[in-house]
Amino acid sequence: MQSYMLLELNTLLAVSIQAERLPFANWLTNSIFVAALVTVGILYLSSKATRKMMLVPHPAQNAFEAVIELLYTQVEGIVGKHVAPKVFPLLATIFIFVLISNWSGLIPGVGTVGWGDGTAWMTVKSVSVPVFRGPTADLNLTLGIAVVFMVVWAAITIQEVGVIGFLKHTFAPKGGMTGVMGVFVAVVFFMVGIIELVSIAFRPLSLSLRLFGNMYAGETLLHTMGTIGDKLSPVLAFLASIVFPIPFYFMELLVGLLQATVFVLLCAVYVRLSTAHDEEH
Amino acid sequence: MEVAQDFAQNFGLEWPKFIAQVLIFGIVYYVLKQKAFGPILSMLEVRRKHIEELEADRKKVKERLAAAEAEAKELRLKADKEAGRLIEEARASSNALREKRAQEATLEAGQIIAKAREATQMEREQAFAELRRDFGRLLVSTTRTVTGKVLTKEDQDAINEEAASQIAL
Repeated sequence: MQSYMLLELNTLLAVSIQAERLPFANWLTNSIFVAALVTVGILYLSSKATRKMMLVPHPAQNAFEAVIELLYTQVEGIVGKHVAPKVFPLLATIFIFVLISNWSGLIPGVGTVGWGDGTAWMTVKSVSVPVFRGPTADLNLTLGIAVVFMVVWAAITIQEVGVIGFLKHTFAPKGGMTGVMGVFVAVVFFMVGIIELVSIAFRPLSLSLRLFGNMYAGETLLHTMGTIGDKLSPVLAFLASIVFPIPFYFMELLVGLLQATVFVLLCAVYVRLSTAHDEEH
Repeated sequence: MEVAQDFAQNFGLEWPKFIAQVLIFGIVYYVLKQKAFGPILSMLEVRRKHIEELEADRKKVKERLAAAEAEAKELRLKADKEAGRLIEEARASSNALREKRAQEATLEAGQIIAKAREATQMEREQAFAELRRDFGRLLVSTTRTVTGKVLTKEDQDAINEEAASQIAL
């Protein structure tokens, strides 16, 4: 029943909730295709920024350094000086990759160029399989990033406080109470520890679904705004398809930045929470 | 489990897609970590140290400048004092010299005036003497002409003396 409802919902949605397989390469989805393009873009820009580095930076180096410095300051402020060098590369990669992936969904042609029921030469009634799809509008990518983060998080946590330290940090009673009260507090903290473990287990899902939900909603919103005037005359429909999405493009730019920031900040906070004990000493 | 499968199916979660996305992200992570973040952070560290050195140098230069300015001020004050002293000395010396010159000039002028007065006196006396002689000769000549008498030496002396006494009066 639940499955049926979700399938029904899928058919009603303006944009498919799943990444589509490209007709010319069945093993490749449009979001993986764009993720690969984003990767190439990031690697090209980073290589341009880090080529012939100088003390007085060239423009590309300067821009890249500004981003890195800003991110490092933020990450260091949250996780502390000791852990920052270990976790920074991953968090910075997540931020840059997620941000560019989010914004790549706003490039004209993404979601609007593809295959569908043809009405004339190079014209379709509606695009059913876009060539390009924002990578973060695919749960596979957002979950993948979240899982990679959790693996690195676990490694750093064990490296910093050890397994015993982590278990003590999660389950051990605090407050130094003894007697009956101490036993009661120990039971409460044990239960809290179990809840904490469940919350940790769900972190990859909460991180990935938050990002995916926001970006997918943005794609759907833009698509809806772009086609809202389709029932009008051709000229008005054309004008409506330009005018209505514009404010939402600006909003999506902001949402893309915000979601990348939220994702990274939450990751940094998770690292901080699990390594804080070690940092305090 | 069934719920998870339904969820995965509806959201298009598939192992190959998932692994492909993880691999793509992993590649970006690895390359950025190795080729970008390391060099950039090193460069930022180098620049931070460089800026610290420059800042330390700037402080040193500032201190040296302040010391030099203080020294210059002291020297200026000393020079001002020395200049004042020299000016005073020069003024005093000048006054003394002027007074000396004035005294010399006064003395010289006095001498010149005395000499001039003496010369004038001598000239006047000489003129008087010549006048007396001429007057005497004129008187003798007039007396000889009027009286028709040859005047003796004694007569001539007497006339000359008389004339001279008259001129002196």
